Amino acid sequence: MTNIAVDVLLVVGVALEAACVAGVVLMPTTFDRLHYVGAATTVPAFCILAAVLCREHLSSGGIEAIAAVGLAFFLFPILLTATARAIERVEESEGS
Amino acid sequence: MNAFTWAATALAVLQLPLLAVAVVRRPIDGLVALELSGILLMATLMCLAEGFHRSFEYTLPIMVAVLSTIGGLVFARFLGRWT
Repeated sequence: MTNIAVDVLLVVGVALEAACVAGVVLMPTTFDRLHYVGAATTVPAFCILAAVLCREHLSSGGIEAIAAVGLAFFLFPILLTATARAIERVEESEGS
Repeated sequence: MNAFTWAATALAVLQLPLLAVAVVRRPIDGLVALELSGILLMATLMCLAEGFHRSFEYTLPIMVAVLSTIGGLVFARFLGRWT
């Protein structure tokens, strides 16, 4: 049962990461692409974390995996805000 | 190979389209691709650590999460001013 849960969570996580990559490649504007980067730190990362926790439980490896995904989840919004401001500056300078 | 190493392989392959975006498009689009690449690298390293049963390698995804954020902030600051 655990093996099936791990397989399903990994497939869902990788498929959603692939969707985010497709969004970054295919979307027409830079702000649209940035939206998909933000999405990648939420559901796909937590699916992969859940798959790891199915095997590791709350051992040191499991706690470190929680820390890694938690850091990405809480730090990336700061990065995305800074990137959005940079995009705005670049597009203003290109427009003028 | 187990499920985690297959997932790590798939995540590593997903870096290739992002590399193409970084090479072909504007620098600011390359920065967006680089940020997503950091997330993918974190997930890849987590899957590899579990796939090879090496719990000490879980330190690497933590370092990638922190350093890709700091690196992205530096790039965002200077790209907005120099281009």
